[in-house]
Amino acid sequence: MLWFKAWLETRWRFCFIAASILFAWATPLWAPLFHLRAPAGVPESRLWLAVHVASVLLYIFAAIFLAGSGINSQTTYAATSGFHPSMLFTLSLPVTRRRLLLVRAGLGALQTSVLVIVMAAYTLFDRPEATTAAQLLTYLARAIVCTMPVYALSTMLACLFDEMWQFYGAFMCCVAAFVLQSRIPGLSSLSPFRGMSLISYPIAGPIPWAPVIFSLALTAVLMYASTLIVQRKQY
Amino acid sequence: MSEAVVETHGLSKSYGDKAALRGLELNVPRGSIYGFLGRNGAGKTTTMKLLLGMLRPDAGEFSLFGETVSSEASSVAARRRIGFVSEGKDLYSFMTVGQVIRFTRPFFPGWRRELEDRYLQLFRLPLNQSIMKLSRGMRTQLMILLAMARGAELLVMDEPTSGLDPIMTEEVLQALADLAAGENVTIFFSSHQLAEVEQICDHVCLIDDGQKVLDGVLDDLKSQYRRIVLVFDAAAPAGLAGLKGVDHLRRSGRTASLLAHADVEGIVAEARNFAPLSVDVYPVTLKELFFDHVRGQ
Repeated sequence: MLWFKAWLETRWRFCFIAASILFAWATPLWAPLFHLRAPAGVPESRLWLAVHVASVLLYIFAAIFLAGSGINSQTTYAATSGFHPSMLFTLSLPVTRRRLLLVRAGLGALQTSVLVIVMAAYTLFDRPEATTAAQLLTYLARAIVCTMPVYALSTMLACLFDEMWQFYGAFMCCVAAFVLQSRIPGLSSLSPFRGMSLISYPIAGPIPWAPVIFSLALTAVLMYASTLIVQRKQY
Repeated sequence: MSEAVVETHGLSKSYGDKAALRGLELNVPRGSIYGFLGRNGAGKTTTMKLLLGMLRPDAGEFSLFGETVSSEASSVAARRRIGFVSEGKDLYSFMTVGQVIRFTRPFFPGWRRELEDRYLQLFRLPLNQSIMKLSRGMRTQLMILLAMARGAELLVMDEPTSGLDPIMTEEVLQALADLAAGENVTIFFSSHQLAEVEQICDHVCLIDDGQKVLDGVLDDLKSQYRRIVLVFDAAAPAGLAGLKGVDHLRRSGRTASLLAHADVEGIVAEARNFAPLSVDVYPVTLKELFFDHVRGQ
């Protein structure tokens, strides 16, 4: 039943992001109505590039927005400050805190993965060059794996802070991490942000194992830290 | 003494520099309705949170159903047998009444459908109503339903009747009394409504500043204690406080009011040495015990 609660807690957030994607998908349908078109002289590949970068940003947004600790109750579609006292009801149930966290985190990760797949598939179908099924699947897998550290970071912050600070904190950490990986030479090869991107690692190239493995390790560390936090936190 | 469902020894808890509990000793007998009383900030909610594993004690230990609770596993096992009503009566705003019942039911193997149906009917709770749209009173009713239908052996209730109208309060108190009498359920509850505590509790414990100041069987306490009111022709003498067996003395002008718990006749005899104009002895109410023990600290 914790899955049921997690779904009810996140469904409107999930639908909100999914609806945003559908809105973008439908662009070819509604754009002519408003006489929208690509600016003169902008090649199709540049437009695709913009769509892809926007999708990567949406991966990050979805990961941050859908993460939760399973203990602090969240509002269905907006972040609010302060803890909702219904968490006392959750904590009174005969369930370990680890299970509360993992079920909620599991469902949010699944939802994030679905949205990443939808967004990644859209940018790939929209891509000017042809893409094989193997390339598509490989990219989807690495996009999900490289999004997970952001998701795990947001989950860890949800274990510590209220929703407002979870979101602010996660966005600030992402910006800081992005700046660091672009300034420090050794870090860029491990960067999950680059791992999500088809610009840093083109789809036809080899699998970028360094960011994939680093992302898996970072996700595991952050989730482990989240588990320790919820087990030790006093409510 | 009958078996204790809740037992605490030297339970202490601080929030930073502020001590919320200081060596609390409790013994809640099985099947009792145990009123846990104190002023705001006395440590009642902290005690309940400790019992439910939401907080960890800084010192001391406690047992539930005879088992020491020292790990998360033992706390989870105990919580299968506990129903809880929190002070705020807050439930998930994203669920409906029916959904929160369906959500809670599977966690408790002893869930009692007949109690669920009875309270749904009694409280007239609409299953499809969003919890966000329930009044405070209806949320209280829903929480009480969720606590009672668990088939719990111990109900921990923090101000269970706050937000209820007088008729509903009466129905809830009656339901609690029935559960304790008919099902041998132990009810551990805090309330600021001393009249309702007096109405249904058989045991009471008063705490103040994180420490127990009085506890026992309510009828015994009320029969042990007497209020002795003395009126003098001048200011009431301070020396009355020195009388053996006097717990608290309040002086107001020519009147002195003594709370005594032992050898009332002896105290009256000694008090007569102060030459009062009149001496009257009254039985005490819980409210008087509360005020004398809590305010007197």
